[in-house]
Amino acid sequence: MIEPAKGPGPSSGEAGPEVEQSTSGRFGFFLAVLRARPQFALGYGIVGAVLLLAIFAPLIAPFDPVQASPADFLRPPGWPHIMGTDAIGLDIFSRVIYAPRIDLTIALLGTVISAVIGSVLGALAGYYETRRGVGTFFSGLIMRSSDVLQAFPVFVFAIAVVAVLGQSLQSIIMAVAFVNAPIYLRLMRSQVLSVRRLRYVEAAYIAGVSDLKILLRHVIPNAIAPVLAQLSVNTGWAILLTASLSFIGAGVEAPTPEWGSMIAMGYQNIITGHWWPSIFPGLALALTIFGFSLIGSSIEVLADPARRRTIAGELQRRKIPAAATRG
Amino acid sequence: MRVIAYVGRRLIFVAPQLVGILFVSFLLVKLIPGDPAVLMLGPFATDEGLIRLRTELGLDRSIFEQFGIYLWRILHGDLGTSWQTTMPVTSDLAQRFPATLELVTLSLLMALLIGLPLGVAGARNKSGVLRKIADYYGLLAGALPDFWFALVLIFVFYTILGIAPAPLGRIDFTVIPPVTLTGSLLIDSLIAGNWPALRNAAGHLVLPVLTLGLINAAPILKMTQSTMQRMLEADFSRYAEMCGLPPRVVARKALRNSLPSIITIVSVLYGFLIGGAVLVEIVFSWGGAGQYAVQGVLNADLNPVLGFVLYSAILSLVIYLLVDLIYFALDPRTR
Amino acid sequence: MSKRLFPLLGHLNRRNFIQVTSSIAAAAAMPKILGMSSAMAQSGSTLVIAAPATPQSLDCNFDVSLGTFEAIAALYDGLLGFEKIADPETPTARREDIAYAPDKPGGVNMYGKLAESWELDPDGKRVVFKLRQGVKSNWGNELTAEDVRWTWNRAFELGALGAFYTAVSGLKRPEDVRVEDKYTVSFNVDEPNPLLLKIHTNLYTPVYDSVKCQQEGGTEDPWARKFLENESAGFGPYRLQQMVRGQQAIFQAREDYYAGKPAIDTVVLKEVPTSGSRVQLLQGGAVDIAQYLQPLEIISLKNAPNVVVETVPASFMIWIELNAAIAPFDNVDVRRAMNYAFPQQEVIKAVYQDLASPLNGCMPNIYPGFAGEYYSYDHNLDQAKELLEKAGQGSGFKTTLAYNAGDPVQEPIAIIYQSALRKIGVELELKKVPAGSFYNFVTDRKQPMIFYVDSPWCPDPGYSLTLYFDSKSYVNYSNYANADVDRLLAETAATADDNVRLAKTKEAQKIIMDEAPWAFIAYPNYTMARKADLKGWTYYTSNNVRFQDFER
Repeated sequence: MIEPAKGPGPSSGEAGPEVEQSTSGRFGFFLAVLRARPQFALGYGIVGAVLLLAIFAPLIAPFDPVQASPADFLRPPGWPHIMGTDAIGLDIFSRVIYAPRIDLTIALLGTVISAVIGSVLGALAGYYETRRGVGTFFSGLIMRSSDVLQAFPVFVFAIAVVAVLGQSLQSIIMAVAFVNAPIYLRLMRSQVLSVRRLRYVEAAYIAGVSDLKILLRHVIPNAIAPVLAQLSVNTGWAILLTASLSFIGAGVEAPTPEWGSMIAMGYQNIITGHWWPSIFPGLALALTIFGFSLIGSSIEVLADPARRRTIAGELQRRKIPAAATRG
Repeated sequence: MRVIAYVGRRLIFVAPQLVGILFVSFLLVKLIPGDPAVLMLGPFATDEGLIRLRTELGLDRSIFEQFGIYLWRILHGDLGTSWQTTMPVTSDLAQRFPATLELVTLSLLMALLIGLPLGVAGARNKSGVLRKIADYYGLLAGALPDFWFALVLIFVFYTILGIAPAPLGRIDFTVIPPVTLTGSLLIDSLIAGNWPALRNAAGHLVLPVLTLGLINAAPILKMTQSTMQRMLEADFSRYAEMCGLPPRVVARKALRNSLPSIITIVSVLYGFLIGGAVLVEIVFSWGGAGQYAVQGVLNADLNPVLGFVLYSAILSLVIYLLVDLIYFALDPRTR
Repeated sequence: MSKRLFPLLGHLNRRNFIQVTSSIAAAAAMPKILGMSSAMAQSGSTLVIAAPATPQSLDCNFDVSLGTFEAIAALYDGLLGFEKIADPETPTARREDIAYAPDKPGGVNMYGKLAESWELDPDGKRVVFKLRQGVKSNWGNELTAEDVRWTWNRAFELGALGAFYTAVSGLKRPEDVRVEDKYTVSFNVDEPNPLLLKIHTNLYTPVYDSVKCQQEGGTEDPWARKFLENESAGFGPYRLQQMVRGQQAIFQAREDYYAGKPAIDTVVLKEVPTSGSRVQLLQGGAVDIAQYLQPLEIISLKNAPNVVVETVPASFMIWIELNAAIAPFDNVDVRRAMNYAFPQQEVIKAVYQDLASPLNGCMPNIYPGFAGEYYSYDHNLDQAKELLEKAGQGSGFKTTLAYNAGDPVQEPIAIIYQSALRKIGVELELKKVPAGSFYNFVTDRKQPMIFYVDSPWCPDPGYSLTLYFDSKSYVNYSNYANADVDRLLAETAATADDNVRLAKTKEAQKIIMDEAPWAFIAYPNYTMARKADLKGWTYYTSNNVRFQDFER
């Protein structure tokens, strides 16, 4: 779950097969890949659908997701409540489709913040690691701090962060960001360590270009690919973390529609045979994460030159009409 | 000799690392709003009582002094008392840590039993049915929230089918538990020859182990498959193939070379699950260590949180050390 | 504030368990597991109770947790008790006769427990108790007047809960409790006090075996605090056999109990923190009683074989404090509007499954002196809107409602209330507070709105109203202050004439209900879920079970 994606080497951006060089060709190749690997298309489809539902939730949802109508409590799935209602008469379906607004916001923001902070610190740590002096000291300090952070049990840490900052959207985002940052830090550092040994970086250094410029112009752009690949996988995991925090009671405040807290609220009712309040949001949650991991693995494939070649070859063999068959 | 030197070098870093971890947790928990003295004395507290208790607890001193006192006490084997359970943290953890360890160890064993063969099979036939199964399994299992999956399992196997025991802890209270030696109910009942307890405890383990095992098989599977595939495509495997060695032998050699990364992922998962199994512990009322620490955070109960962090940090360090030692054993170049 | 029910909820969670856990467990039918367990519960002389918590401390001067209530009732006895009658609606259950009895001393129908007879001076300033002779403690020491004196001295010296009891009964100094002779003790107060007699029926005013306590405490700990935390020295029907906190406490019936050995020999109080689990254990036959269940769980038990569920009106009340010191609740019209906006009936139906009745007063409706006719806040959003406009809050306002994460009914009520208030432009933000720190939030009195669950243990209108509405009361968490109410309550406390007291407390209730310092929610019932063959359950206003009542 927390394994950093084994990113392809720094060479990933270059040296791809000629099959997807032109812009239109690139997109065409992408489409061809989707056709050849329908599970990837499924992933994009799921995530797309979830996003659309979330965006248009106010138009689609038959009921107000936070307006309780206690007279209709615990109605089984049927009409007009297609997923039933919970113990205080909130419409489960409306809440399920509103939920990604919160879940995805937290997960995406948390992931992006952790990626930015983690990458910057990782780049600095990697770049200065072998220099003498203050730089090395700080890079050591960063790495040791991240050791400490990672030695923390994830949930205990995340809950503590929420407890310290108070229960709010921002603090949950911070918690998600904190927990994920070390992953990007390590990833970036190892990338930077190898990139900075490359000739052109050495050359820039000798030519007296400032450290900042070298980092921004030459090092980071060439080391960023695996970080981007990690993003999608990590978003799925961040959604899971968000829901888990809510389940434990350290998530968003009630009655905000959020999958984890819906599962937690409905959990009390399974006892009396009312399974729908927690089963439906759980399914939605699992499906969304599934979608993100499919996208993640598609990115992994597309970002890996070797595997991209394999697919291109496969496409050619199957004679799928696509830009990929140019040649 | 090299091994000993290596272990020695590692151990030198352990102490400062532990202190660092403790200090961060100390600060973090101290930042949580909520005055333990008020919580302990409850609504009847008088002002003098509060002041007296704060002095007793050392809460009136600076945070660094407090941390110093805490470290000093740890060195004397005293992890403080939990105000929630009114018990010393060491004895609370002695009860709860083995519960978590038993659960996590068995779950990872199960995850290995599923993930390893499926991963190897997936890597060996790249386009077969097994590969498809492996791919989808990895993605689906990885997407399931464990706490929700646990609920589904309970609903099906307990509520509907009635074949699983109630998710109410590690053993029925009507069954006489074995004398505590290791803290693992299975091992303790084996030692004591207490068969009813063994059967009962094993029954209670089924659903939680199934939950964590099925879900955590996914990362093991993915890691096995990708490493194994790399190894099969590596030069040494091609060479072995060309030399006419049977595929099974080639695969065995590839697997042996994949073991370090598989062991790494297992150790990472182990470290993660010690605290990460908490949601499943809650669902099954397991009374594990993670649950204990989470309650500590929610109720400004400092000592259990620190005790838990300390124990799990030590445990992770031991595991990582063991992993390194296994590398030494596996890699002939180090001999 | 004896009555603190708060520990009830407080402790459910204080002890290491996340409430959510519960339910799941209880899943409907649960045939398997518990089959074998019945061995424990079936034996005629053993009673197994699934309780939310084992006692934290056995010293009732300091501890008010759930398990402690049961333990104190078993290990100790007080001077007096209320006579018992059959519950009018549930004839199999019994309850205390707390009705006003004008012909009895003190206006109450009581019987002597440790006291054989008592005599109340007509001016209400002195009561003399003659103790039973030959009553032995669980350590074999005989009960004497010195024990009673020592007990009340301890309350004076240690403060805490005891200080509350001395204060409400008008005792000002240790010397007010006097040993008249070996078996006679008197309580003397400066002003007439209506509770002088009634207070001795209270669960938390038991008598200690002072000989044993002094022996154990020595000079280091003259009030035997350490000893009484884990052990008992009293004259109650049971002795403590074993206590493992967080697991179980075992009580053994005393052969030498003055009223004869109780029918049940051994009582096992088993800690089962999640209510769902308690339900299952009862259904499976592993326990005889499952305490403190959730409404839906109780409903699901109604058809269970061999299980009887009795639910009776109780002294519990749940309400939301509308903090009069925080705007806009300093405005009486806003507070009234908040009550008109509260959908009481819907909450009682959806959240309580009708196992509660509407809170239509500001003290328990089962107590003498209760006046239910002043509640006039039937759900009416137009009325609420009008009142807000009158208060200059026509455009609505924003405020927060704090609720206890450990009490499963509070979150749903909060959401229902939030939905209703939204319709009149009031935006309610919900603040979930961990059970462990919830009561700090309450006692802080800094929340504009916060839930509270309580039950005044002494069935007396003056006592109940003073707790919550006297501007100087420690338990007045809504910061309510009204000079007339203060005056009426003071006058009530200063007279032993019951007719005057009833008139004055009625007037106070009228003012309070009109000024709505709370958002009135419900009187939740007390529910006993037990095996069918267990007889004798009695409901007490202290909301706990007393083992000595049961038989098979």
